[in-house]
Amino acid sequence: MEEYVLDLPVSPPKEYESYFLPLPKEFLEDAYKSDDFVVFVGPQHGGSGHMRLIVRVKGDFIVEVIPDPGYVHRSMEKLAENRLYIQNIPLLERPSIIDFGNYNLGYVRAIEDALDIEVPERAKYIRTLLAELGRIGTHLYDAGILAVFIGHTTGFMWPFAMREYIVEIFTRITGTRITGSFIVPGGVRRDVDSKTLEMAKKMTYALENRIKKFERVFIKNPTTIARLKEVGVLSREDAVRYGVVGPFLRASGVEYDVRKVEPYEAYSDIDWDIVVGYEGDGYTRFLVRVEEVAQSISMIRQLVDNMPDGNVLSDDIIAFNKRDIRGSFFESYADMVLPEGEYTTLTEAARGTLLYTIVSDGESTTPYRLRFVTPGWMYLKGFMEACKGYRLADLQAIYGSFGYFPPEADR
Amino acid sequence: MAESALFVLVEKILETLTSNMVSIPLIDPLIKMLMKIPAVNVIVAFVLWKPIFHVLILPGLLGLTLVLLFMIYFERKITARVQWRVGPKEVSRRTGGVIQALADGMRYLFQEVIVHRDAHGFYFLQFPLISFLPVLLPLLFIPAGSVWGIRSVYAIPIALALISLIPVFIIGMGWASNNKFAFIGSVREAFMYFAYEIPLLIAFLAMILLYQTADPFEIVERQSIPGILLNPLAFLAIFISILIATSRLPFDIPEADQEVAFGPYVEYSGIVFGLVMSLPYEKLYLLSLLSVILFFGGWKGPEIPLLGDLAPVLWIFIKAVIFMCVVALARSIYARYRLDQTLKMSWSVLITLSFASLLLSAGWLAWLGL
Repeated sequence: MEEYVLDLPVSPPKEYESYFLPLPKEFLEDAYKSDDFVVFVGPQHGGSGHMRLIVRVKGDFIVEVIPDPGYVHRSMEKLAENRLYIQNIPLLERPSIIDFGNYNLGYVRAIEDALDIEVPERAKYIRTLLAELGRIGTHLYDAGILAVFIGHTTGFMWPFAMREYIVEIFTRITGTRITGSFIVPGGVRRDVDSKTLEMAKKMTYALENRIKKFERVFIKNPTTIARLKEVGVLSREDAVRYGVVGPFLRASGVEYDVRKVEPYEAYSDIDWDIVVGYEGDGYTRFLVRVEEVAQSISMIRQLVDNMPDGNVLSDDIIAFNKRDIRGSFFESYADMVLPEGEYTTLTEAARGTLLYTIVSDGESTTPYRLRFVTPGWMYLKGFMEACKGYRLADLQAIYGSFGYFPPEADR
Repeated sequence: MAESALFVLVEKILETLTSNMVSIPLIDPLIKMLMKIPAVNVIVAFVLWKPIFHVLILPGLLGLTLVLLFMIYFERKITARVQWRVGPKEVSRRTGGVIQALADGMRYLFQEVIVHRDAHGFYFLQFPLISFLPVLLPLLFIPAGSVWGIRSVYAIPIALALISLIPVFIIGMGWASNNKFAFIGSVREAFMYFAYEIPLLIAFLAMILLYQTADPFEIVERQSIPGILLNPLAFLAIFISILIATSRLPFDIPEADQEVAFGPYVEYSGIVFGLVMSLPYEKLYLLSLLSVILFFGGWKGPEIPLLGDLAPVLWIFIKAVIFMCVVALARSIYARYRLDQTLKMSWSVLITLSFASLLLSAGWLAWLGL
């Protein structure tokens, strides 16, 4: 973008000239002449995340919010074209490292679709377990961010402390706190022993206990309700029109969850409900996620209780030791070539629908093209529209209620 | 000739100072010893002269510094306890990190003070410094037992009037910063000023009406029952007003760091930032002292013969610190209200509460037939 000179009777701030803003000259001039105030929130601001929000306010009311994302863009799609299929697993979970289960799952399922690999039942259960643990972790993380955005420091610290339980289980299962890369084509890397599974179940009781305390101090806090209720309302029609996904779509009264619509892995075997809210405001968006945590907790208990015995790696991938991939990793995956074609999977990640499309030319060991749409990017437009008409102070409350996560959106 | 005139003058000064000295039996032998040394005796007499002792030592400047150092530490520690954390500990591990605030202050001192290009440099640096005027001047009018700066029957209204000058300086800082967030923060500060000032003044008025005097000495004298029991409504109104006045959560609106990035203070750095960030604490200290005088019997407390004049000073100081500790707890419990919600609340609930407290005071007077 070029620098430009504004035709105004005052000297404009330096930021208008040289920040290469996604703003037309007319916008700034019009804002000045109609006595509006253009505030640049971010990228170095306590309440912006890794992005800039260009907010046009009339008095205290937001007229328009223009996002300027891309500060943490890592060109995942292009990078993926130069790596082996198996090397893409750690790469593609980077957008949301705390939710690695779902991010691995979508990509790996696309490969399995292409190669027609049958995954053992036990592996499916372990994958679902990881996905749901990640969902709880992400929802807790987002609750913490929401809390600190509306100034509740205890509401910030507690969910992060509670997430330590999840992280501990991740450590025991995968060996790392985050970025597990545990799900591989044909199953999971290695088997999980019954002691760890039992611990995961016990953890859910401890977590439930803490969430009850959290409910008292933050969720039911009058100040929280005052800040979030009837703020950032997205009606059902708007939510659908702007393509909002995940819990935020469900908070506007749309019953859509990929896990129910096209069940994958073990979701059809266990008993759970879609959480739907009808108000479409910030508080409902938050409550939907709180309720989803409760659902995930019940799912984890069911998964541990009904965990089938058997192998965790498919016969198509490995011939011996189907409980641990270590030692046979390169042998199994290094020369993996997908048949020619386009393979798409939808996954319900913690923040919404996650889409992977792999285009293969049928002869190379790397994807010809990889399309990867994260939920963050999908609901950015809805988030911008939800801000209109509310107060400037509500910007952060709405931001938090969406749990917007720039690294995830920018990919 | 000139020498002897000077000598007479020093003698005269010494006489004036010693006639009104703080007497502390505990350190009396030491004072007596020091008073025998020429030149030193003038300094000792000066420091222990009641008005100077009041302003410089307790509850004045030294007390203020102690409060700042302690309150910041205590607030961080108590918030950490609530939040399943440990809190500051690294600086001076053996004492549990008590000098954390002092270490922070020293860090500020060695940091560069940046005056950005768009700032109105003169006022930008002036306001943080002269904002100490409305902080230190009210202290003169808040007595502590036999130690006082200026004695006046209008002491409480004067102190309040001086305290209510502080927002003017904060708005000035925001204006001199010439920054959008500072501007928004200053406007918010101005709105908040209107939100709390009237209920606060009416509630103070209710207490003055109840005691029939604005003289702190009389007020403390008349509190055979603590004022909080006589008029709890006024206390509630003043407590909420203090939360708003000192920008404590849930009314941390002008300096909401996630929304306006510390509002009026956004452009300050280094020791000047340290100075402006201590303003709300200083304001809290002043309002706590006033509240203690009105509601908790001021400097009344068990007599400590060893401390003499110092005992009442210590009592009012300790009471004020306890009051501030209670205020500090609010930080870990509440989220931040929005500006319009606060304005609505203060112009409806808070102002009704303060008028009700006025009626309650009038009721007491009518019932007692005063």
